[in-house]
Amino acid sequence: MTPPPTIAPARPEIVTRRIKPPRQAWLERATSADHKLVGLLYVGTSLTFLALALTEFVLMRVQLIAPENTLLKPEIFDRLMSAAPVTFVVLSCIPLLIGLMVYVVPLQLGARGVALPRLNQLAYWLYAAGAVTIYASFLYTVPETGTAALPPLSNLTFSPSNGADAWIAGTALVTLGFVCFAINMIVTIRNLRAPGIAWRRMPVFAFSSAVISWLMVVIGPIMIAALTMLEIDRRFDGIFFEPGEGGAPVLYQHLSYIFLTGAYLTVFIGAAGAISEILPTFARKPLFSRGAALACLAVVAVLGTLAWMQNMYTAPLNSGWTIAAMAVALALVLPIGLLIYNWIATIWGGTLQLRAASWYALLAISTMACGLAGELGYSVIPVGWALDYTTASQGDTLYVLVGGGVMGGFAGLHYWFPKMSGRLLGEGLGKAALVLMTIGVHLYVIPMFLAGLEGQPVDTWQFYEDTGTDGYNLVASIGAFVLAVGILLQLTNAARSWNHGLPARGHDPWGGATLEWFALSPPPPHNFDAVPDVRSGEPLYDIRESIARRERSFEAPAARALAAPPEPAEPTAAVISEAGETADTGRREASEQGPGGTPGDGDDGEERPVA
Amino acid sequence: MSRRTILIALVTALALTLTATPAFGIRLGPEEPHSPNADAIESTYWVMIVIVFALIIAVNAALIAAIVRFRHRRGREAARFAAGRGALLPAIAGFAVLAIAIFVFGVIETVNVRDVEPSGSDGLNANQTAQVGVSGLPATSALEDTESAEGGEPISGSEPSESAPLAIDAIAQQWLWRFEYPGGQPGQRTFSYGELVVPVDTTVVLNVSAIDVVHTWWVPALGGQVQAVPGEVTQTWFKADEVGRYSGRSTVFSGTSFPAMRSWVRVVSVPEYRQYVEQLQRDLTNAQDIISQAQQEEQGSP
Repeated sequence: MTPPPTIAPARPEIVTRRIKPPRQAWLERATSADHKLVGLLYVGTSLTFLALALTEFVLMRVQLIAPENTLLKPEIFDRLMSAAPVTFVVLSCIPLLIGLMVYVVPLQLGARGVALPRLNQLAYWLYAAGAVTIYASFLYTVPETGTAALPPLSNLTFSPSNGADAWIAGTALVTLGFVCFAINMIVTIRNLRAPGIAWRRMPVFAFSSAVISWLMVVIGPIMIAALTMLEIDRRFDGIFFEPGEGGAPVLYQHLSYIFLTGAYLTVFIGAAGAISEILPTFARKPLFSRGAALACLAVVAVLGTLAWMQNMYTAPLNSGWTIAAMAVALALVLPIGLLIYNWIATIWGGTLQLRAASWYALLAISTMACGLAGELGYSVIPVGWALDYTTASQGDTLYVLVGGGVMGGFAGLHYWFPKMSGRLLGEGLGKAALVLMTIGVHLYVIPMFLAGLEGQPVDTWQFYEDTGTDGYNLVASIGAFVLAVGILLQLTNAARSWNHGLPARGHDPWGGATLEWFALSPPPPHNFDAVPDVRSGEPLYDIRESIARRERSFEAPAARALAAPPEPAEPTAAVISEAGETADTGRREASEQGPGGTPGDGDDGEERPVA
Repeated sequence: MSRRTILIALVTALALTLTATPAFGIRLGPEEPHSPNADAIESTYWVMIVIVFALIIAVNAALIAAIVRFRHRRGREAARFAAGRGALLPAIAGFAVLAIAIFVFGVIETVNVRDVEPSGSDGLNANQTAQVGVSGLPATSALEDTESAEGGEPISGSEPSESAPLAIDAIAQQWLWRFEYPGGQPGQRTFSYGELVVPVDTTVVLNVSAIDVVHTWWVPALGGQVQAVPGEVTQTWFKADEVGRYSGRSTVFSGTSFPAMRSWVRVVSVPEYRQYVEQLQRDLTNAQDIISQAQQEEQGSP
C-alpha cells in the first residue's frame, strides 16, 4: 500500500494529530476557562438576577401600597420575601462585583490568565447551579422561611415544604462557588503579579478583590456549615438548632449573621475598590493616600465581620458580648470615615471629568454614606433595641446595597465596559437612569425610615391602618417603582450598548493609570504580548510622563547628550509615582536626575514596552 | 448667586422642612415614651440621629463642594499631590474621638435602660402578689441563670421584698401572646391572651419566652425589643407612668400570619388591676369547674 502523496509545506509547520474544529461562539463562551469569558458570564447572570430581584421587590411593594391590602396572598408574599433578599445580595450584587474582578483583576496585575482557571470556572457554575436550585423550587414548592431561614421557623415542623430544602441547598452551592472564586483569586494575586507590582503598588480594585477573597474564605465555610446543620436538622433528625433537645436556635443566628454581615461588607469593599480606581482616573490625580485606602479596606473586612452581633442586640445574649459588638461596630467609623475622606481629598485639587462612570461613583459614595452613617446609629445598643428589624434599619441596609452593589457595580461596569466590549456604555441613558435610581432610593428609604419609627417591622405582608403608616408606604412604593425603572433602564442600556454602543476611542478611553488599559479592548486570550515594567502604583501614568518628557527634551538632543543640566524633575510627579512609598522616594528622585541613573531603574527602562 | 447664598438657602430649606414635619403629623423620633427605659432609649435616639444627620450632611456637602470646585474645565491642570506623612493624622484623631465618645455615651445609656427602677408610690405593693411560679417555664432557679437582653443582671421576682417587681411571664406562640400573672394555685396560673393588663407606676418584669418559633416582644412606648426564643427566657422590664393602652408588635418573621403578631398593654390603676386579676381567676375557676363537670359526666355515662 503506497502512502498517500504528501505536499511538502512551503515553510516548516507543526501539525497536530487532529485540529479541533472551531466551536460555535456561544459554546466557546460557556465552556472556556478564560477568566474574561467567565467574568462576562458572571456579569450577565448577575444582571439577569438583578432584574429578577427588582421584579420581586416591586411586587412586594405593590402589596404594601395600601393598608390591609389583600392583592397578594400571604403565602405568595412570603415566597417573594424569602427569594428577593438572597436574589438581590447573593445572586446579583456580589456576583456583579466578582464578575468585574474576575475579568479585570488579572489584567490589572499584568497576568496572562488566572492561576486556577478550572476552579474559577467551577466557581461560576456552582453559583449558576445554586441560583437554578433556588429558582427551580418555584416549579414545585417555594420557600416561605423568610430572609435568613431562622430556625425553628425553618424546621420541618413549621416549614414542611421542599422549598426550604431547595433554598438551603441553593444558598450553600452559591456560597461554595464564592469560596472557590476566593481561592483562585488569592492564588492568582499571590503568584501572577507582573514584576514590580508589590502589594503596596497593587491597584486598589485588585487589592479589594484580595480582601473580599480572604473574607469569603473565612465566612463562606461558616455559612455552608450552618446550612448543612440546618438541613441535618430538617431531614436527618438533627438537634443542632432544636430547642429543648440541647440545640440552640440562637446559634444559627450567630452563624448566619457572620455570613450576612460579611456579604454586606463584600458589597461595600468591592464597590470601594471600584470607586478608588474610578475617581483618580477621572480627577487626573492619584489617590490621596493609597496606603491608607488599602489598610482601610482590610480593616473594614476584619472589624466589620467581628461586629456581626451588632445585628443581634435583641437576641438573648450576654450583655458583655453586646457591648463588645458595639465597640467593634463603632470602631468602624475610623476606616470607613478615612476611606470617604480619602475619596473627597482625591477629587480636591483635581480636574474631575463628569462622565457617567464618575457620576455613578460619586452617587455611590453619597448613597453609601447615608446608609453607613445610619448603621453607626444602630450600633448604639439602645437605638438598636428600638429600630432593629424595623423598616428603618432595612432601608438603611438598602442604602448601602443599592449604593455599593448597584451604583458602585454600575460605576465599575461603565468604567470597564470599553475594555470588555470595545464600546462605551451609553452615557446619556446611564446618567438618566442614575437620576431615577437616586430619586427612587431616597423616596423609598426616607418614608420607610419614618414608618420604622412608627414600628413597622420588615418582612410583613400587611400593615394595619391604625399604625398611621399608610402615607409612608404609598410614597415608599412609588420610590421603589422609580428605583426599579432606573435600574431597568440601565440594564437595557447595558444590553443595547454591548453591540450598538459608540466605539471607544483607543484601548484606553479614560486615560487610566493601571495595567488593564495597556491591553487591547477586548483583550486577546493571552491578555498581553508584553507587560511594561511597573515602578509605581500608576505604571501607565509613568509611561505617559516619560514619553512627554522625551518629547519636551527632543528639541535639544545635543544638549541632552552632554547631560550637563539635569532635567528639572517635576517634584509633584516624583511624589505621585511613589505615593505611599516614602522610603523609596529618595532613590527614585536620584534616578530621575538624568539619564545617568542606575540601569533598569531610570526612565529608559520604562519606555521599552512602548517602543 | 454666590456659593454662600446657595448654601444658606439649602440650610434654610432643610431646617424649614424639619420644623414643618410635625405639622403634617410626621414624627422624626420614636413613639412618646411612657416608661423610664423607653425614656433612655428616646434620648439616645435623639443624640444619635443628630450625629448621623451631621455626618450625612458633612459627607454630601464636601462631595458637592469638591464637584463644584474641581470639575473639569478647559485648561485646568490637576494638582497631582498626595498625602504626605501624617496628613491623615487629624482625620484619624477626629474619627477616633467620635467613636470613643459615642461608645462611652452608648455604654452609659445602655446601663440606663437596663437599670430596673423600683415601683413608684402609686404602684402596686408587689410584696403581696409577686411570685414566679413554674408553669411550662424554667423554674425560678433557672431564671436566675438566664441572661437577659435588656435586664443585664437577671431579675428575680422570687425574693419577696418591699420593692420586688411584678413578674409576669409573656409566652409567644404563632400568632398570639399568652400572659401568666403571678398568684393563683401552682399549676393553675392566672393567664390571659393578647392583651397584658398591668398596674400603673409599678415595675413590671417580663419573662419572655416562646413555645414554637422566634418572636419579638416590643411595645415602643414601654421600652425596646427582646426576642422570644424557644428554650430561652429573656427578661425585660417597664414601669408605665400613665394609664392607657399601648400597642406593640413582633418584628421577627414568624410565618404566614406574621402581621397579626401584635400585642397590647393596658395600663390601669392598682385597684382595677386587682379586680381584673380576681375576675380572671374566677373565670378560670368557673371554666375549670365546667370542664371537670363535663369530664365527670363523660366518665359517668357508658
